[in-house]
Amino acid sequence: MNDANLTLTLAPAAEAPRPLALTPAQDLRGYLGAHLGRALLFFITFTSVLAVLLILVFVVVRSVGFLSQSSLTEFIASQSWRPTAEEPVFGALAIIAGSLYVSFAALVFAVPLGILAAVFLSDIISWKVRNVVKPLVEILAAIPSVAYGFFAVVVLAPWMQNQFGFSTGTNALNAALILAIMALPTIISVSEDSISALGRELREASYSCGATRLETIVRAVIPAAHSGIIAAAVLGMMRAIGETMVVWMASGNAPQIPHPWWDLAQSVRTLTATIAGEMGETPEASLHRGALFAMGVLLLLMTFGMNVISEYFLTRAKKASGRT
Amino acid sequence: MNLSVRGKLDRVFTAATGLSVVLLTLVLVAILGPMVYRGSSAVFFQGTVEFRKMQRNLFGRGDEQLLHAEVAETEEFRRQVYDMIDGFKKGVDVEAMSEQAREIHRQFGQELRDKNLPADQYTKLRELTRQIRDKLDSAFHSQDIDEIQRMVAEVLKNADNPQLKDTSAEKLFAIARQFLQAARQIDLSKHHEYAAALREVEGILFHSETLPGLLGPRPGEPAAPLVMLRYGATRWDQAQALLDRFLWVQEWVEEKPGHPLVMKRRVRAESFPPSLRPLFAYVEQNAGKMLRPQRTVYWQFLIDDNVNSHYFGGIGPEILGTMLITVIGMLFVIPLGIISAAYLVECSSDGWTMRIIRMGINTLAGVPSIVFGLFGLAFFVLFLFPLLGFEPKPCILAASMTLAVLTLPVMIRASEEAIRAVPPSYKEGSLALGASRFHTFLAVTFPAALPGILTGVILSLSRIAGETAPILFTGAVSLGAVPHSVFAPTRTLSYGSYDMAVGDRLAMMVPHNQYGMVVALMMLILILNAAAILLRSRVFKKLRGQ
Amino acid sequence: MSREKKEDMQTLALTSDIRRSNIRTTIPTIDRKERTPKPAGDVCECAIIRSENFSLYYGSKVGVENITMDIYPCSVTAIIGPSGCGKSTFLRSINRMNDLIPHIRTEGKLLVDGHDIYDKRTNLVNLCQQVGMVFQKPNPFPKSIFDNVAYGPSLQGVRNKGELQNAVEQSLRAAALWDEVKDDLKKSALALSGGQQQRLCIARALATKPRVLLMDEPCSALDPIATGRIEDLMGQLQSTYTIVIVTHSMQQAARVSERAAFFCLGELIEYDRTSKIFENPSKKETEDYVTGRFG
Repeated sequence: MNDANLTLTLAPAAEAPRPLALTPAQDLRGYLGAHLGRALLFFITFTSVLAVLLILVFVVVRSVGFLSQSSLTEFIASQSWRPTAEEPVFGALAIIAGSLYVSFAALVFAVPLGILAAVFLSDIISWKVRNVVKPLVEILAAIPSVAYGFFAVVVLAPWMQNQFGFSTGTNALNAALILAIMALPTIISVSEDSISALGRELREASYSCGATRLETIVRAVIPAAHSGIIAAAVLGMMRAIGETMVVWMASGNAPQIPHPWWDLAQSVRTLTATIAGEMGETPEASLHRGALFAMGVLLLLMTFGMNVISEYFLTRAKKASGRT
Repeated sequence: MNLSVRGKLDRVFTAATGLSVVLLTLVLVAILGPMVYRGSSAVFFQGTVEFRKMQRNLFGRGDEQLLHAEVAETEEFRRQVYDMIDGFKKGVDVEAMSEQAREIHRQFGQELRDKNLPADQYTKLRELTRQIRDKLDSAFHSQDIDEIQRMVAEVLKNADNPQLKDTSAEKLFAIARQFLQAARQIDLSKHHEYAAALREVEGILFHSETLPGLLGPRPGEPAAPLVMLRYGATRWDQAQALLDRFLWVQEWVEEKPGHPLVMKRRVRAESFPPSLRPLFAYVEQNAGKMLRPQRTVYWQFLIDDNVNSHYFGGIGPEILGTMLITVIGMLFVIPLGIISAAYLVECSSDGWTMRIIRMGINTLAGVPSIVFGLFGLAFFVLFLFPLLGFEPKPCILAASMTLAVLTLPVMIRASEEAIRAVPPSYKEGSLALGASRFHTFLAVTFPAALPGILTGVILSLSRIAGETAPILFTGAVSLGAVPHSVFAPTRTLSYGSYDMAVGDRLAMMVPHNQYGMVVALMMLILILNAAAILLRSRVFKKLRGQ
Repeated sequence: MSREKKEDMQTLALTSDIRRSNIRTTIPTIDRKERTPKPAGDVCECAIIRSENFSLYYGSKVGVENITMDIYPCSVTAIIGPSGCGKSTFLRSINRMNDLIPHIRTEGKLLVDGHDIYDKRTNLVNLCQQVGMVFQKPNPFPKSIFDNVAYGPSLQGVRNKGELQNAVEQSLRAAALWDEVKDDLKKSALALSGGQQQRLCIARALATKPRVLLMDEPCSALDPIATGRIEDLMGQLQSTYTIVIVTHSMQQAARVSERAAFFCLGELIEYDRTSKIFENPSKKETEDYVTGRFG
């Protein structure tokens, strides 16, 4: 390179500088482009909200007929579900209880295991090992629910029947175990996020006071991350209560409240399984179909509620970890 | 607390956390391992000559000449089985023999009429054969060997009657002789038991009313209406299970009153007289020669349609249906998801609209899948389709659109994350050069975010392919023709897996097809996910500058 | 990639940089003493950028407040000051890069070529084309070297392949990068060393034929050798471009700039010829800062 060449190449002034002021036409075009484009993008993005609204409207509208003709108290207080009898009775209490029952049972298995695994991932192993273990959890989450259901019915149910002498292999225990496996990835990843988001300072402070790892985690880390862990549990519950195929296939589908209450070996039935199982056989515009849509509304309300709770705790967890 | 106790507790805790992950891995292996192992046997197995026959007849595969030669060879070994059973049957199956005798009698009457004999002679001969027939009949039903001998002797006295020579009546004497010979060898009091046991054996070897057997129907028998009954055991593992059932009788016995039933096995040969026992040893030893198992790779499992509710054939239409629904769903999801994500990142502000949109996406992600099914039925099928002038019936399009709504949050979140991960310096660099925001997004941000967006696409794909509940009422069927348009319902892998897991008993008899279906679905999804994970880790490496 | 290998590569890149810089030292740089500085202080009509009581707020927080200064063409103007004093904010205001940040508000005027760029009717595309920018960290696009430099011209509608090639070559030559990369223009820009990447970014900015070049601490992410090369480059470029540089390093400001502005807490404290700022500042804060008593 030489100087002659350099001066040759640096000749910007030769070109007339373009005007900085917009002409009115350019101004109008830019204004319209920006606003119309933005509006278009906004409407496309708004599809998600629209979808939520449509879901709400259409599921509610279909259930209105049932809710106006049948008594709501019967729906949520009666245990007798006889939709196809001469005089149909639509008492969903046992079914609602069944939904909550298997979901809570699943949480009882999944939450402790999930927290332990989250601690393991965030505090105990190195980054490299973590990168190997994480995909495992993701694979667990990726397996389709119908495959879990298949496993529950074809493999787990006969095994439990033979091994423990249950009267039926498709029961609340079976469904709860599988739901626990399905809720685990959610619980692990959400609580791991909140635990590792706390940063090193907290742990260093605890270690410097002479605490062991156990004490640090149990007395400093987990209390500090409790919001995130609660959110994880709620999200796990949401996953479990909304799950259809597994409970339909594995829970036995008997609309009853287990008695005694801790007897997991009895069959139960859930809201999702009832909708899935009976919708196909209901005539259009029948009370029965309305009742199933009412169950859908109930499910929606439950998940909306849990969504709000988890959002609340997640925001709190974010604030606690000092991120915005 | 004592320091050593604290140390121990700490170690126990560390071990517990490690164990939880080990448990998780074990669960994964316990679920995937056996299922994949059994599912892969739908494609890799030992196929018998019956399998090749079935493939030739139903799907037109294989060399006809070779197959004929092979069938002829196996028939040679099978002939012995047929002969043994026929021989035994002559002494045992009294109903069949009575029927045969009656048939011969009728035939003889016809012959006499054809000969135009004088009336008195005709009557006499008819009377004679009727007596013979009746005597034989009572001999068949007798349980006393002396009585049988006497009666058969009486019948055989007529054997020299010249008028019966060279007529069909002679067959009666043949039957009588065979019967006497057989009757001398067996315990006559067990006639009925033998007959029943023989029917069972025939069911296992050939086929019963509802179930296929080991060797398939005997040659010359009219073809059964159910296709699956026209073939023997097509797979060597199936053949061995049938062989086991052939050799052993399983019974549930109550050993002590009040105790649960216990399963007992006993040798089936013992329920037969010694004359038939060689059959069992023969079949056991020559099963290989009669069926000729060969290592088979039945990759066409992935393209074949099924026969007789998945007894034979593969999962081609299910794979096609899953792909159709997935691809059409993605047509909706990809543009919607990317544009939404771009809006959320590029035009983000803390206004209330943005908060509502975020809330909408989060809520949508939490809606139970079955409620999407209800929504799809109520909105797409029953509301939107009639509005647009389509038939309000579940179909591929409705299923795809329902699944598209379901997976939209997945797509938006993944794309948003990907777009956010693009360093802001890229964007600034482009804007500082005078590019518009739109051009900056298209030319710089989008290409840089593309691997991450692709990860989102793959994850959405796997979600759509695996969901079952939303398509229960919007487009999935368990049986039906291969769809010809998007307005037809279709079979899918996911619904098929459900159907085969809880469906009829028939599916239980073909666990390889049952598992094969669900494993095909899982493999599809796991491969997609593995691709997503790999892609993402590569992107991370790139962003970290390695 | 293993650690040893990475270190190997780094040393390799370093030695090659040294080698190149040895070559470069033989090229005569423009002697600063020969320049005839324009009179400072008086409001000269030839000022290309003029700030009149310009203020910028992030919500309620002050970015910069009441800045009044002129920047003259064909010279290097340095903006110095402690961190968080608003010097980057002011620099980024000149090509409206701050628009990306939500909730900003401006007051006063900022004129480029006599046009208030915060006027609603400003052609931002033309503004950015006239006012190029080089960022703190080298930010080449994840594309090939050629595509990086051709990005600007193609935005201006240059589609002709030969014309693009010409523009790329000229810009790369101007940024003193041509000889190093001319054989593999198709290589990814991310494969270049940090110093090369920054010169690529300068070439990219030059390709749009700007009149002003804003440099936001262009050497803070670079090693001393690469820094030296960028500084040499600035010396060459100032004959044709107006360069405004924000820098942390007072030595760098003293080395490259003709004028210097001292910012503190969002305000312009002092603006004068560099030699005056460093040798005989008129304000106490400036003196404290340049003598290292604070900042």
